[in-house]
Amino acid sequence: MKKTLLLFGFLATTIFSHAQFLVRGKIEFERKINVHKQFDGDAEWLNELKKHIPQYNITYFDFLFTGDKSLYKPGKENPDNGRDNWGEGPAKENVVYADYSKNTFTSFKKVFEQNFLVEDSLKKIQWKITSDTRKIAGFECRKATAIIMDSVYVFAFYTDEIIVSGGPESFNGLPGMILGVAIPRISTTWFATKVELTEVAETELKKPVKGKKTDLATLQTTLQTSFKEWGKYMQRNIWFIII
Amino acid sequence: MKKFVCSLTILFFAFQFSYSQTTLKGTVIDTSEKKNLSNSVVSILRKTDSVLIAFTRSDGQGKFQITAVKPGTYLLMVTHPTYADFMDDLQLLDSVATDIGQIMLIQKSQLLQEVIIKQQLGAIRFRKDTIEYVADSFKVQANANVEELLKKLPGLTVNKKGEITAQGEKVEKVLVDGEEFFGDDPTIATQNIRADAVDKVQVLDKKSDQAEFTGIDDGKKTKTINLKLKEDKKNGYFGKVSVAGGLKDNYSNEAMINLFKGKRKIAAFGTMSNTGKTGLNWSDQQNYGGNNMNTEMDEGSGMIFFYSGDDFDGGNFNGEGVPKSWAAGGHFSNKWNSDKNNFNGSIRYNKVNVKTGGSTLTQFILPDTLYYNNERRNSFSQKIRNRANGSYELQIDSFSSVKITMNGGMSMSQGINNFFSEALTSTGQPVNRSNRTTTTDGNNNDLNSSLLYKKRFRKKGRTISLNLSQKYTFNDSEGMLNAINEFYTKNSLFLTDTIDQKKVVENRMFSGSSKISYTEPLSKSIFLELNYLLGTNNSASLRRTFEENGSGKYEALIDSLSNEFDYHILTNNGGFNLRVNKKKYNFSVGGNVSGSRFRQTDVIKDTSLTYNYVNLFPRGSFNYTFTQQRRISINYDGNTRQPSIEQIQPVRENSDPLNIRLGNPDLRQEFNHTLRVFFYDYKVFNERNIWVSFYGTKTDNAISSKDFIDTLGRKVYQAINKDGNYNLSLYADYGFKIKKLNLRLSGGINARVSRYNNIVNGIDNVNDNKNIGFRLGASYSKEKKIDISLNSSPTYSETKSSIRKDVVTKYWQFEHNIDLTWQLPKKIEFKTDCEFIQRQRTAVFADNNNVIKWNASIGKKILKNETGLVKFGIYDILNQNIGFSRDITNNYISERRYNTLMRYWLLTFTWNFAKNGKAPTSMFGD
Repeated sequence: MKKTLLLFGFLATTIFSHAQFLVRGKIEFERKINVHKQFDGDAEWLNELKKHIPQYNITYFDFLFTGDKSLYKPGKENPDNGRDNWGEGPAKENVVYADYSKNTFTSFKKVFEQNFLVEDSLKKIQWKITSDTRKIAGFECRKATAIIMDSVYVFAFYTDEIIVSGGPESFNGLPGMILGVAIPRISTTWFATKVELTEVAETELKKPVKGKKTDLATLQTTLQTSFKEWGKYMQRNIWFIII
Repeated sequence: MKKFVCSLTILFFAFQFSYSQTTLKGTVIDTSEKKNLSNSVVSILRKTDSVLIAFTRSDGQGKFQITAVKPGTYLLMVTHPTYADFMDDLQLLDSVATDIGQIMLIQKSQLLQEVIIKQQLGAIRFRKDTIEYVADSFKVQANANVEELLKKLPGLTVNKKGEITAQGEKVEKVLVDGEEFFGDDPTIATQNIRADAVDKVQVLDKKSDQAEFTGIDDGKKTKTINLKLKEDKKNGYFGKVSVAGGLKDNYSNEAMINLFKGKRKIAAFGTMSNTGKTGLNWSDQQNYGGNNMNTEMDEGSGMIFFYSGDDFDGGNFNGEGVPKSWAAGGHFSNKWNSDKNNFNGSIRYNKVNVKTGGSTLTQFILPDTLYYNNERRNSFSQKIRNRANGSYELQIDSFSSVKITMNGGMSMSQGINNFFSEALTSTGQPVNRSNRTTTTDGNNNDLNSSLLYKKRFRKKGRTISLNLSQKYTFNDSEGMLNAINEFYTKNSLFLTDTIDQKKVVENRMFSGSSKISYTEPLSKSIFLELNYLLGTNNSASLRRTFEENGSGKYEALIDSLSNEFDYHILTNNGGFNLRVNKKKYNFSVGGNVSGSRFRQTDVIKDTSLTYNYVNLFPRGSFNYTFTQQRRISINYDGNTRQPSIEQIQPVRENSDPLNIRLGNPDLRQEFNHTLRVFFYDYKVFNERNIWVSFYGTKTDNAISSKDFIDTLGRKVYQAINKDGNYNLSLYADYGFKIKKLNLRLSGGINARVSRYNNIVNGIDNVNDNKNIGFRLGASYSKEKKIDISLNSSPTYSETKSSIRKDVVTKYWQFEHNIDLTWQLPKKIEFKTDCEFIQRQRTAVFADNNNVIKWNASIGKKILKNETGLVKFGIYDILNQNIGFSRDITNNYISERRYNTLMRYWLLTFTWNFAKNGKAPTSMFGD
């Protein structure tokens, strides 16, 4: 036992003590939407529907980061997703560019037929730090929780081994990289599947430029007024668009 | 790097308050190596709720400095990978820079805790690496929560903080029905789960997500507790009672209930009405009458829902006459063994009495003349129907399933019909007169069953299905035919034909078919489907006509009007379909070939006839998805249609002596081409929609008719082949919403052109039909206040026959609707709708056909939770409703009028009751 501990200690020092804190690299996130949970109620036709469609919709995203900038964008295709993509909906293929030194982000969101380009300062999220930890993609992560948009619970796991304070979509503000996010209310999780130590050139981080320029507050008002008659289903989508 | 950390620090404090700030500084070092630790995260958390207030990282010398924090009491957390976390209380004073000196971190080490397993037989099961506790076996207080239950379970401990330890190891995850996180959110109902809602507590070593995903065990395991919830927590009922009455003698009453215990449902209903309701409406049918929904999944076209309805369905009577009806039914369904077994059964009873009366005015356009035919009729009919349905579905495993369905029905019908018709020349001279009375008394019985087996294979897209089905019907009827037909020439009676006969008819049919379908993926996006069907159909038809034998009994058989035939049909049908699925588009091509052998045996004459024919069914489709809300689809179908045996060799009968059918042994099959194009575009933000659809058919060798109308006004007709028949229609709809005004505007166009070729009294005739309709609509809605909609649709029709170019039928018809729903204070709702129909008079139809149909009702919700409703409504306030239809086919133009429901009022009381549940909303709302 002593031997292993020793060995472990040795490995740890070699890996981490020699400034192996990541500042650039590439993270692959797997977004998993529980499609069945999106259907409320116990009507017979819903049960029938659930029988025929896969429970999860899985999509991959790439997160590239260099020092104080990052880009989150759709990644590799999932061949299991058929043409009838039940998890699909508004803002499901977002591109988010963040500049941590300027405290700003630019996000491209396709909401039905309308493309938006959201430019705003990084979200201020009141994170509660917990003592729970969990290993994600080989990194020890600490759990933090927050409530966003007044009532939506968010569970995040961050690692202090990556210095950039970013995360999937526009989640940020923890002392390290967020490698896992779960939002029960929209039945969706984002988990890193791999972290690559590749050199990422700044030029690869292309800021999105397409879309109707707006900021978060305006977008939220637009959505709320446009979709107020749509009820519960749309509320879920609005949360999805705003995160 | 230093620079970067610096900028981070600045960044995260930029938004802190600038007044009365303090500074905290210090150094992070390693205890054992006594070296400064760079890149350690130093976080300041709010003491009360651990909210992150500020953080920074230590620099190359392990030094850190945090400014711009309000004075107060905090928690200081310092972390570094591979080191144990440092946590301490922190007091920051106003305008004093706090230096907390050295923070020492200790390298991580963990003590393995002692493993204790206590066992209790029966209540605990071990399967593989899972320990399962049956929750009910452990006594907890009523209303206890899950935490208290866990404390009772041997091998589990829960400390003051709520942390759970299982067999000495800390439990990392708590799942609810296998789901992580979804039990964590206090806003989700599964939080605060009561102990008695838990069926089993499973303690397992969950493999890492990666291992589960790849199937390769990477040896990483976390202690996990899964709370499996009980399924049968939901017991209760819901139902509805509605009583409605109106003077003089109108009523419409219904009662229904659904009792459920978990997945088991028992429902019953009864209705009685003489105001047009003949059973449950669509959504009540789903909740109380038994589920008759079927679904199919198709990679190409997505999900298909279909409702296998029968004539019990449909709540409102749309037909002719005034019905009086009674209906009742019961339904039982259950699912068990994790929904792998599913049983559904229902029985239904329905009795409908209908009195109808009406008249039909027809114009016959002939090459040299015109005829008019006036018909008046009245009838009474009674139908009593009983039906039982049952289905059982078994999910054998995750790849295969079997479904067995059976249904049978027994019905009795009685009717009496009186007809009077007269044919007149264009100058009003009588041609013929007919006075006819028929009575029938019949029974219809049927029994059907089917078995469907479906299997998916491990290879994605490979499936096989087998469907066996059987159908048996047995119908018999007895009736009388009494008729007096008078024929005139030159205004004087020329011939009188009297019929007084008894008819006995018996039909039996047995058919069976088996169909097998197989799908093979040729690549990720190309699929080949193959199908084959073998079917047989045996039927026997017996028709006997008797006349009075002189002693008052109808026992003398009329040979010429009696017959007995046996039919035997054997069908082989095979085909393929090649489907290509891409992200943006999909298309398919394929077709079926069917060969049939048809044999008709005349039992009395002992002769038989055999026909062999081949039918072709080519098809193709193409769908393109521009975006999620903009799509186009194009479909082509071709099919051959065989002449019916009646058209080739009719059975002689005389129930309508003014219409005589002749056979045509040379009749050939026809071939139909059908093209459908559909385009839709929807913008969600301003709710703008565009729908365009086109439908076209062209028939080669169409089975058309050759009519001969003799000078006695009798029609002799025969089926023949004719080329050049077509039917084209276009539909387009555009609508958008003006958000600011809550106003939705829409408009549409509906156009149709068709041509039909036939032969009239020896002359080739081309009938051309044109129809064009417009629609304009506006609707305004203010949530929970008012809904108004207006619709206006003018339609123009024009019909020409080449044999009489001078006789053109053209007219306009206008329909306007107004609908209003108004929510008044005190839970009162006012509803009214009005329909104006203006039909332009034509040369032939000079009667006034304009109708204003106006309905209104006022209702008030009463009782606790608005479960009661009192409503007063008047239907057809102006008493103007008429049953009316105008029909233009070939060279006949007719207008039908019939009696229908007119003004009545009803006072209704409805009570909805429920315990632990409510009627689920149907797919399309109520």
